Amino acid sequence: MPLDTSTTYPLTRLRLDGRRWNELRLLQAQISTNPASSGSSYLSMGNTAIMCSVHGPAEGRRGEASGAAGSAGAIVEVDVNVAGFASVDRRRKAGGSDKQSSRIATTLRAAFQSHLHTYLYPHSTISIHVSVLSADGSLLAAAINACTLALVDAGIPMPGLLTGCTSGMSGSASTPRDPRNDELDPLLDLSLPEEQELPFLTVGTTTCVPVGENHMEDEEEETKVAVLNMDSKLHCTYIETMLAVGMDGCNQIRELLEGVIKGSNRG
Amino acid sequence: MKSLRRDLSSNPQASNVASKVFVRSTKSGKVQKIVRELYLRQDIPCSSKLCSLCPSIAPSDANGNIAPFVLSDRPAGTKAFPRGHYLVPDTNALLNGMDLFEHTGAFYDVIILQTVLEELRNQSLPLYNRLLSLIKTDEKRFYLFFNEFRLETHVRRGPEESINDRNDRAVRAVASWYEEHLGASAKKGKKEKSVPAIVVITDDKGNIKKAKAEKVTALSLSEYVSGLEDSEKLLDMISEAREARDSKGPIGQLFYPEYLSMSKMMTGLRAGNLHQGTFNVSPYNYLEASVKVPAFNKPLLILGRDNSNRAISGDMVVIEVLPQDQWKSPSTKIVDEEAVTRNDNPDSEETEAVVSQNERKALQEEVKKAHGKSSEGKPQPTARVVGMIKRGWRQYVGHVDAGSTGSQAASGRRQQTVFVLPMDKKVPKIRVRTRQAGDLIGQRILVTIDTWERDSRYPTGHFIRSLGELETKGAETEALLLEYDVQYKPFPKSVLDCLPSEGHDWKVPATKEDKGWNGRRDLRDLLICSIDPPGCQDIDDALHARPLPNGNFEVGVHIADVSHFVKPNNAMDLEASVRGTTVYLVDKRIDMLPHLLGTDLCSLKPYVERYAFSVLWEVTPNAEIVKSDFTKSVIRSREAFSYERAQLRIDDPSQTDELTESMRNLLKFSKILRQKRYDAGALNLASPEVRIEADSDEVGDPLTDVKTKAMLDTNSLVEEFMLLANITVASKVFDSFSQTALLRRHATPPPQNFEDLINQLSKKRGMELDVSSSGALASSLDRCVDPENPFFNTLVRILATRCMTSAEYFCAGAHAEPEFRHYGLASPIYTHFTSPIRRYADLLVHRQLASAIGYEGEDGHAVIEGVNTRGKLEDICRNINFRHRNAQFAGRASIEYYVGQALKARGEKMAAGGTDTGIDEEGYVMRVFENGVVVFVPRFGIEGVVRLEDFVLPGEAGSRSVSERRELAVHRTTHFDPEEYTLRVEEKGHPEKERGVDVELFQRVKVNVSSVKEEGRGAGKRRVRILITG
Repeated sequence: MPLDTSTTYPLTRLRLDGRRWNELRLLQAQISTNPASSGSSYLSMGNTAIMCSVHGPAEGRRGEASGAAGSAGAIVEVDVNVAGFASVDRRRKAGGSDKQSSRIATTLRAAFQSHLHTYLYPHSTISIHVSVLSADGSLLAAAINACTLALVDAGIPMPGLLTGCTSGMSGSASTPRDPRNDELDPLLDLSLPEEQELPFLTVGTTTCVPVGENHMEDEEEETKVAVLNMDSKLHCTYIETMLAVGMDGCNQIRELLEGVIKGSNRG
Repeated sequence: MKSLRRDLSSNPQASNVASKVFVRSTKSGKVQKIVRELYLRQDIPCSSKLCSLCPSIAPSDANGNIAPFVLSDRPAGTKAFPRGHYLVPDTNALLNGMDLFEHTGAFYDVIILQTVLEELRNQSLPLYNRLLSLIKTDEKRFYLFFNEFRLETHVRRGPEESINDRNDRAVRAVASWYEEHLGASAKKGKKEKSVPAIVVITDDKGNIKKAKAEKVTALSLSEYVSGLEDSEKLLDMISEAREARDSKGPIGQLFYPEYLSMSKMMTGLRAGNLHQGTFNVSPYNYLEASVKVPAFNKPLLILGRDNSNRAISGDMVVIEVLPQDQWKSPSTKIVDEEAVTRNDNPDSEETEAVVSQNERKALQEEVKKAHGKSSEGKPQPTARVVGMIKRGWRQYVGHVDAGSTGSQAASGRRQQTVFVLPMDKKVPKIRVRTRQAGDLIGQRILVTIDTWERDSRYPTGHFIRSLGELETKGAETEALLLEYDVQYKPFPKSVLDCLPSEGHDWKVPATKEDKGWNGRRDLRDLLICSIDPPGCQDIDDALHARPLPNGNFEVGVHIADVSHFVKPNNAMDLEASVRGTTVYLVDKRIDMLPHLLGTDLCSLKPYVERYAFSVLWEVTPNAEIVKSDFTKSVIRSREAFSYERAQLRIDDPSQTDELTESMRNLLKFSKILRQKRYDAGALNLASPEVRIEADSDEVGDPLTDVKTKAMLDTNSLVEEFMLLANITVASKVFDSFSQTALLRRHATPPPQNFEDLINQLSKKRGMELDVSSSGALASSLDRCVDPENPFFNTLVRILATRCMTSAEYFCAGAHAEPEFRHYGLASPIYTHFTSPIRRYADLLVHRQLASAIGYEGEDGHAVIEGVNTRGKLEDICRNINFRHRNAQFAGRASIEYYVGQALKARGEKMAAGGTDTGIDEEGYVMRVFENGVVVFVPRFGIEGVVRLEDFVLPGEAGSRSVSERRELAVHRTTHFDPEEYTLRVEEKGHPEKERGVDVELFQRVKVNVSSVKEEGRGAGKRRVRILITG
């Protein structure tokens, strides 16, 4: 058994992979990786690697396009596939949708359905395929980032980059927080062993690109939380700290993604 | 298509990412390959106060606090390192010498590496936890250095390198980095000389050699320790296991069969061929043990050293049933280890066989008995130990067997091997190597077992510390506490910080507007009083009764509101949950809660206002309960009575005040309740209890302090209402928390437990015991009376109690509802509610009840957090059951010790007067063996083994010295009839009727009790000798 964070972190202020509390893992990304699709991306955060491709906006299939929502704007379809070899134990039954991947798919669909300017493409479908090649924590956050890149690559308009990040606490955090004696630190961008041990949440934020007159007056970009997901149990007094740290992480990731997008234009 | 390969060249950070790849196998045998990222960095401080560079890069946590630097700028020096030194131990050094590292005299400024910590965790979880708590204390200056993440000290495993070699290399890399780093960064002004040396401590010879080549200072643990002051003391603390590994090249003669592999055991267990259970050694015969396995309703027998195969009482073992022709009957002999093997030499391993000549003889006779025809002598399923699931080893209190030390013991400092005889008779003697044998003789010492190899007849262990002289009060009390794992250290500061800041001046708030009054009923007008043993300080409970206008009565039980002061999950709560219960020794009380709460703020002292948790019933004059009500309250007790004073007041017809009347009512109700309980089938059990009044003056006969417990009506008055309160609360709590209510059950004992007793009673007295239900048992126990022997009934009750299982705490979800029954009390549901000051279970029940009645607490929302998860609750139950049992054992052992000491004091006084004749008492035979009997002496509440030599035959002088009597045993012979439970002792060659002594089961015998100096295991207790005189 390797060590665990909740024991050693208070002693060394180092996490199990050698990071400090506020450090992201190494994030690398490329876009236009698959020319056959409308837009595509490959993104890795640490050992979590995700490939994403976007098809569309295309004419929706007959049955669905006639539905109520179809007339108003494009429908976003998300399909998440966690590869059988993505985690430590190889899953025999690859391809079938399990609980985890369908939850991620639902969250992504809800997030991007409202995030994208879908009203520009009535009666059409934007389908996103997310393939998880390697899972090492922060799966939902990495998927959000990969989708954003692929959607940018596909040229689908959106108000700003939607980026996701996880944040957790360095202990079980089951008792109320004592502001005078803060024993627990928030942690940014959790890896799989940390996720299994600690409470954590996933937050996705976006910025609205200021338009028109406001642009001049309001120098600062406004950040909006678009996705917030938490499955673990912890005392509510910690949420605020975690949220702040997570949103900060999202901003860092946004800068990185912007770099990737701008860099690929140059190429 | 673009290449998706990770392109690391573009990112400057990326070169610092390494990965750690390792393979592990899961429990189910699956092999997993794990890949982890490692972010290498240069901002991990060395944490030395000497360093001028690291403070600038030291990491801060989320609040911007920087961890203080740990390692001293003036580390202690030794002869070899006059400039001072930092220690860098490797894993083996910690495995072998954890006791040393915890020693307060040495081992300061230690750098613990991440590599080492991780390896240690894989090897031994207890040691890992001990190391962690060392790192957390400030005094010892242990620094946890995450070497794997520091760029300079990260070591990549070479292609052909074994993981051990890699880890050793990592340790050396850290040492040389520290050397270099401190050399470069030591604060200016400090001269070059003051840079401390970095000393790697390792027990691996290859590692030391390599270190030399790399110019790293490396020493073995013993080399290092021998350079310290008082090295002799410290050297003994190095674990024995290492020595064994080093010195024994080729394994010598193997005495014991090898254990099965884990997978073989698992297959066997699944197939049902093997069984798993706890190894339980018989208190009368150290060569006989039983293992209770779920597959059979009677425990399986394990006889002899070969079959026990290195198992020690308390181990979790896997056993295999032997073929039927090897089945044996349980022993009918008393076999004491020290008597049989007193001449074994601790040093000579070569000549000894597993079964020594003497032991073989002892076994032979048992085999003979195995073919007897009696029901007791019938061969029983016998098994042998084939595997070990988990060792139950702990630290043992014992003393050095003076006979096993060498002749030059007192003078020389030479290392020698001695035997340590544990206080617990069920544990075999432990072989310990020591250099201070001479000093240790006559001391109570603490030792631990390291290993029991196949080629060693006894387990090997090492010395931890000395508790003090044998028979001194301090040492014996500490020994008791250690032996029963009682937490007796003073409360740490973090616990005391949780106490109310007002201290003893704390008062119930005067105004009812105060938040302390939220949800509390004002019961200050009620005439409440408490009845407790004399001198009781922690008053848990108080009572009242008053007539109601409708002719019914209101009866109230008021319990100290401890949960008001002990909030869930704070340091005090955690400490209390670990302690579990208050432990009462004869002259000492080890509290569960700090003194301030237990004896003052919570204690329902008379004349002052106190918070309480009240249970109120409306009862009819016939003690039928009309309704019950629970509330938090404020009360003012009018008087604190002792049992005797309460009794006197009730019995005194001239007292007619309201308080006395209320007590009379209570007494009346309690009698009705008691009768109802017995009608429902409750058992009236007995335990051999005596009470010690230690505070009486010292001049008199010390034995007058020893009193058998008197049962007054007022005792049962309190008891009845406490039982009623507990039962009422139990059902209320269970209604609200169907899964997590904390309850107490007493399982119905399986009828076969009583087989022996039923048999004995029908044979010897023609009496019958009906065990079909608790009611039937109760009434048949009532019929077991011997008009000539008034104590006989109590004796039977004591024996019947021993056939039963013990009651236990559990949480409601763990058992089906019919299993909740409390057999002894004949109640379908039961819990503990009435003593929260001294039992943690009651405190939890208080919290649950508070939540069940919607009590909202001071701040408007009650928290029962931490109790509401079943898993956690089950952990707590396990712990408090364990603590409860141990507290009882410790209390009994304390009384036993006190009785022994009182007899000793008396003996010395008598000896001064010229004669030491002991004291004549009555005793009762509880068990008959082939070579002795077990006698119970009610006067002192002790039972003891009477061996052959302790029978005083007709026409023989009564008192002789121990050694003289021991000689006698050789000349005596016995006739033992296992079917009739009789034993006849006579001198060899003198079968005349009048020269022998006959004893039989349940017989009343005259005994002479005295305390004698005993060599061997009993030395500490000064065995209480019982002579049968007729």
